[in-house]
Amino acid sequence: MEPIIQMSHIDKTFKVLKRREGIKGSILDLFSREHTLLQAVNDVSLDIMPGEMVGYLGPNGAGKSTTIKMMTGVLEPTKGDILVNGRVPYENRTKNAQDIGVVFGQRTQLWWALPVIESFKILKDIYRIPDRVYKDNLEYYDELVGAGQLYHKAVREMSLGQRTLCDILAAFLHNPKVVFMDEPTIGLDVSMKSKIRTLVSNLNQSKGTTVILTTHDMGDVDALCKRIVIIDKGTVIYDNEIEHLRKYFGAYRTVKFKFKANRKDTKGMVAHEADEIRALLAYKFPEAETLQVTQEEQWVQLLINEEEARMMDVIHSVMEQKEIVDMNLQEISTEKVIQKIYEGGVL
Amino acid sequence: MEKEKNGFAFYAHIYKKILIQDLKSKMSYRADFIISTIGMLFTNVAGFITFWLIFQNFPQISGWTYHEMLFLYGFSMLALTPVQCFFDNNWNLSRAIHSGDFIKYCFRPINLFFYYMSEVFDIKGLGQFAFGIGTLAYSWNKLGLPLSFRNIAGLIIGVLSASLFMIALMNFASALHFWIVGATSVMILIFKFKDYARYPITIFNKFFQFVFSFIIPIGFMTYYPSLFILHQERISILTYLTPVFGIVFVYLSYLFWMKGARQYSGTGS
Repeated sequence: MEPIIQMSHIDKTFKVLKRREGIKGSILDLFSREHTLLQAVNDVSLDIMPGEMVGYLGPNGAGKSTTIKMMTGVLEPTKGDILVNGRVPYENRTKNAQDIGVVFGQRTQLWWALPVIESFKILKDIYRIPDRVYKDNLEYYDELVGAGQLYHKAVREMSLGQRTLCDILAAFLHNPKVVFMDEPTIGLDVSMKSKIRTLVSNLNQSKGTTVILTTHDMGDVDALCKRIVIIDKGTVIYDNEIEHLRKYFGAYRTVKFKFKANRKDTKGMVAHEADEIRALLAYKFPEAETLQVTQEEQWVQLLINEEEARMMDVIHSVMEQKEIVDMNLQEISTEKVIQKIYEGGVL
Repeated sequence: MEKEKNGFAFYAHIYKKILIQDLKSKMSYRADFIISTIGMLFTNVAGFITFWLIFQNFPQISGWTYHEMLFLYGFSMLALTPVQCFFDNNWNLSRAIHSGDFIKYCFRPINLFFYYMSEVFDIKGLGQFAFGIGTLAYSWNKLGLPLSFRNIAGLIIGVLSASLFMIALMNFASALHFWIVGATSVMILIFKFKDYARYPITIFNKFFQFVFSFIIPIGFMTYYPSLFILHQERISILTYLTPVFGIVFVYLSYLFWMKGARQYSGTGS
């Protein structure tokens, strides 16, 4: 099978205006401009097969969106060859756009004032979706997430979760071969996140759509992607199956507790509680050598390695001893994983 | 199929669809609709009163009578309708760029400029249109202009070509946002020029006549095309060139806008 996205030795450099300091500098800038070259993407090669779901990760400014812009035809690479669906994307942006879908978690691409179904009808015309395909997709969407009840609601009246859901449905409406998703679950609660993940996974499987997912939430990648590509400072630093990374994020869980206060001096008390919990867990879980208990402002924070002690057991032990007022299970950010990769020397 | 897809019919069809939906949703926000219509009415009435007051004190301006000036006034209102109705999203470009929302327009398989402009249809323009028709009909009647085929055709072609100039100016001004911060002040400045377009450029001195013909071509927004009906003896070559200049000017502004859009989406995140 031919890869659906082929990038070989792609470079992208931007010309950035070098600004001089001070008022004198600003005036000088008006007359003579000095540019520096900023290499956003450096010798990136990537083959993505049809139907793959790839987690494309990296810290802010690593070159993620530059790469995505090159794949979508918005940007032209400075050097190297790129083919998407067998076409050079920047040479024909509109033709390429016909075969791709794009989802942004934070900004909707639907018409703000219109009911979703009207946006869909306009998209049907823009993408020239055949009646049959359009009808089938709407039915399938309804079956999948009960989208029917959202169709007549205006986008501006929707919750963020509903809007994201509709944006994803809209991106798949014309049966694109590749869908790019940028932070699709950002700002959503746990149940909505899981709904979105299930939806994307179903769409990928039933339609065979290739999905490129950028996110800061390791949970998204874990739920959806078999393969992870990590880019940092414009270079691909990791491209492999997620399984090899699981030890860097799969085992560790961070959980925070707030306990019922019975003294005024809260600061001293949290420190005291942390000590208590530390002693308790050391006694209950002697094998858990890496288990960390720290104080985080008003919270007692636990870092649990699930290979040593199961998180639910730890929470259970804490609950037996203390009255918990509030609890927070933190998602693992991709940054943490990347940091651990560097520390662990996998590269 | 590919040819059809890029064709005029395809875009007209999409625009119609978006427009109908947009109007429907606007009507459903009735208070908003009524208030903005009343607002537009007042703006026009206020402008009109100022105009009327001037003529209470001066019977003529550079040999132009009250009713002739009223004709120009109505003509300019009609000529400004298209920019108001169809290109109002230019005013939102600054926000779209600064929030980063602009990038979303780059992913559809249709023309970027079209897609961006199609998003907003400003219904207030229709009030202005009605006002313009009324003013024009009144002065037409008072001036005793013949209702001939020549005049009607001249009016329609004249208004359509004249409207291109403001569209082009606003495209140029808003496209500056792609390069510089704070281009809104330039837009406001350019938009203010529409008020000068109501006057025959002969009332200005030679220098400004030149500027308003060839640099900031607001002379074409009313004066030159309306000569065709109003003062046949003064028709200049520029009157006949109005449609040609208009089309060229709009096309250049479109190229400039697209160039800006391309280089903008090429920078940063």
